[in-house]
Amino acid sequence: MLTREYALVAFRGGRAFPDRLTRRAHGHYLRYAEKALRVYRNGVGRTRRDLHRGVERAFAAEPDCPLRRIRAFCKLLDDRCEYDEDRRGAAAELRKAVFRAAATRHPLVRQPDRLFESGEAAAKAEIAAMLGRRWQEIDRDLFADVIEFQPLVSFDDLSGPAALLSRYNVAQAQVALFNAEKMTVWAGQDFKTILRHAKLARLMHTISRDGETRYVFRFDGPASVLRETRRYGAAMARFLPALLACQDWRMSANLRTQGGYRARFDLSPDDGLTGHMPAPNEFDSSVEAAFARKWGDEPRDRWRLIREGAVLHRGQKVFVPDFTFRHEDGREVLLEIIGYWTPEYLAAKAETLKQFADRRILLAVSYSDRKELPALPSDTIHFKTALQLKDVLSRLAERSEPRAAAPPAAGPSS
Amino acid sequence: MLLQGWDREAGPRWLLDLGAVWDGRVGAWRLDAIRYADIAAPLSAAAEKAETVGPPSESFLDEVPKWRSLRWPKIDLPALREEQTAAVASWQASGRGLVVMPTGTGKTVVALKIMADAAVSSLVVAPVRDLMYQWHRRIFEALGYDAGVIGDGVHRVRPVSVTTYDSACIHMEKFGDQFGLLIFDECHHLPGQIRRDAARMSAAPLRLGLTATPHRADGRHIDLDELIGPVVYLQDVAAARGRTLADYDVVRIPVKLSAEEQSRYDELSRQVRSYMVERRKELPAYSWQDLCGDAADTPEARRALIAYHAKQAIEDRAEEKLRVLEDLFRLHHSEPCLVFVGSNAMARDVSRRFLIPCLLAHSRKQERLEVLQGLERGDYPALVANQVLDEGVDLPEVKVAMVIGGSASSRQAKQRLGRVLRRRGNTRAVLYEIVTAETNEEKRSRTRRRSDAYAGTKRWKK
Repeated sequence: MLTREYALVAFRGGRAFPDRLTRRAHGHYLRYAEKALRVYRNGVGRTRRDLHRGVERAFAAEPDCPLRRIRAFCKLLDDRCEYDEDRRGAAAELRKAVFRAAATRHPLVRQPDRLFESGEAAAKAEIAAMLGRRWQEIDRDLFADVIEFQPLVSFDDLSGPAALLSRYNVAQAQVALFNAEKMTVWAGQDFKTILRHAKLARLMHTISRDGETRYVFRFDGPASVLRETRRYGAAMARFLPALLACQDWRMSANLRTQGGYRARFDLSPDDGLTGHMPAPNEFDSSVEAAFARKWGDEPRDRWRLIREGAVLHRGQKVFVPDFTFRHEDGREVLLEIIGYWTPEYLAAKAETLKQFADRRILLAVSYSDRKELPALPSDTIHFKTALQLKDVLSRLAERSEPRAAAPPAAGPSS
Repeated sequence: MLLQGWDREAGPRWLLDLGAVWDGRVGAWRLDAIRYADIAAPLSAAAEKAETVGPPSESFLDEVPKWRSLRWPKIDLPALREEQTAAVASWQASGRGLVVMPTGTGKTVVALKIMADAAVSSLVVAPVRDLMYQWHRRIFEALGYDAGVIGDGVHRVRPVSVTTYDSACIHMEKFGDQFGLLIFDECHHLPGQIRRDAARMSAAPLRLGLTATPHRADGRHIDLDELIGPVVYLQDVAAARGRTLADYDVVRIPVKLSAEEQSRYDELSRQVRSYMVERRKELPAYSWQDLCGDAADTPEARRALIAYHAKQAIEDRAEEKLRVLEDLFRLHHSEPCLVFVGSNAMARDVSRRFLIPCLLAHSRKQERLEVLQGLERGDYPALVANQVLDEGVDLPEVKVAMVIGGSASSRQAKQRLGRVLRRRGNTRAVLYEIVTAETNEEKRSRTRRRSDAYAGTKRWKK
């Protein structure tokens, strides 16, 4: 993923255009991208800085290519790499040994003379002999723990240069969304998939109906969030490739740059960006997947867990729970998991749920700091990282009328 | 220096008092060249009066001085201030002595005026090579003379030459008779077992020492009386101006660039400056950010930005800065030194070149502590740090510090270092500022820098 320092966006007429390489205008970039991939493919053992220089050289024939773009390529390639981060601290140990040995020979002079006999070359040779290694190796390893000098251990190759370029395009769109205050997605046939990934990313959303078979998602953007902006931005960025892999949708985001400039960023399948579904382990590690795994297939306390949630409509408003719990006796309780939230979002959510007052709906709200828990609608469970079975079960056990008569929520149990 | 003509028994008392030693191999008395003035005057005076000073001499033949009178191609000195004129006059009364003035108050001009007036073969001795080159430039600008350079792989002895303390003490025995005037810049570096040879092995009767702070921690500054002469001028800052001095001196060392690099550097500086000046005519608040923004659109702005980066690249020249550091480490080899640089890359370069520990912006706490304590305990002779070190890091107190850079950010570095440079007893600390060779701009700013000498709150006592 790219961070702000790699963002390249053009602004024209109130619209934002994240950098995009097209076959028509940038067909020749395939050659450079192939060279860049080769640098990494053959780069095991070379330092990060060396690899970056290799990539810069790969683009040497394109003097107009902004440095930022080249650096972005390096970042995307680095993301697929494993580097030796010297967790053991070998470089620091080496430094200590070398500097202590050199201390008595200070100053190391280029040209030894009558006054200062410790020539630089001789001193280094002596220290190398003392440590039983060649000076060339010592010099190379002295700062091997510094990020630039970390050597490459392995590189997860891409299918080809086109893959690198298309990932670059998506990455620039993702980083542009870091500045989104609001993002709206109009969806048709793939509405459920889009919703699934929005929930996976735990994005703050409201859903409404747009005709018989179409839906509108309104997301809060990272630029509208005060805390955890970076994480929320990354979450929204993770959502984008999944959206791109769907059909029949349109997106429009209101961006607000750090300088206060506003612009609209529009996207649709016509833009030709290639998406990809998140890796399976992203599903598995989500809060809902973990909860469902813990619950298992069997009913608990006569409640059965149903994951394929119904889509509830009340007029324009739409509500899609994460879980439906169905009791033997036919009662149903719905559960929605809320990851990121603002007080305003929760208030809006509470308003929405009033429309569904005929159903009993539980909210599971995540929090990181006890102090920050605001006043929440009554039927709410708090959780830190994992939603606890017992919290849900105890809430299910409460025989309550939907909404109005619900007793105040018990404190979060850890 | 050899004195022939008297045999062993005939040497008078005062000859022995001067430290003369009989050399049986050549049948003559041997003295340090520095004694020349002490014996040449009485001997030639006695010979004039045709008195016998000892059998069987009748005349006095002086073959020592190989120095000669000079005529300067030009004399282009700035107008001297009152104190500078007073300093020159005080020195000229005896021709031997120290002029003590704070750094940044124009000691160089005093020396140049003395050189101009003396008009005799002269040797200027500087503490580091790059200051040696700076003297070379100043002599050329003021007197139109292309001085010889002795040191740094060059050995070109001309009637007017520049050298370093280290080169001088190694080579002086070869040309100690060729100079009639010796000028020792930062002369507090002169006393020292070996370095004093630079003064001892020269017969020059005229000697000028320049310093802001003659005192040395080891007490050897009293040797300066003998090696150069007594203090002939002392600028009493406190009384004359009612101001006080900082605990430390700031010595600015411009890194010498090759002639073509220097002219390229000046040209690039001019390009950037003239563009900014042009833009500011319309937009007085035109800033650096504006230039970067415009560079995307206008070709002129892009050229100015490219010129800036090229200029920066020359400024970042590591090789020359490492040379200056080597000279400073040589000068202060027994004192703990703290070096501040402007980037992690530079810190690593210094560290790898001299094998001294370095503190990078993201060094781990454990390593940082070990290094800082090591410097304090004397396990390490010096330390280099990226100047963007977190403010909370406690730097050890040192007496010698170096800052590499000259940009605004190094002003902060200097302030930070200023806080750890402490006077110990009567000796002052020193902060060396290593900057890229002077452009005309920097020459203009020399007047501004004079005020640096007066920052701080401690009184300066003799």
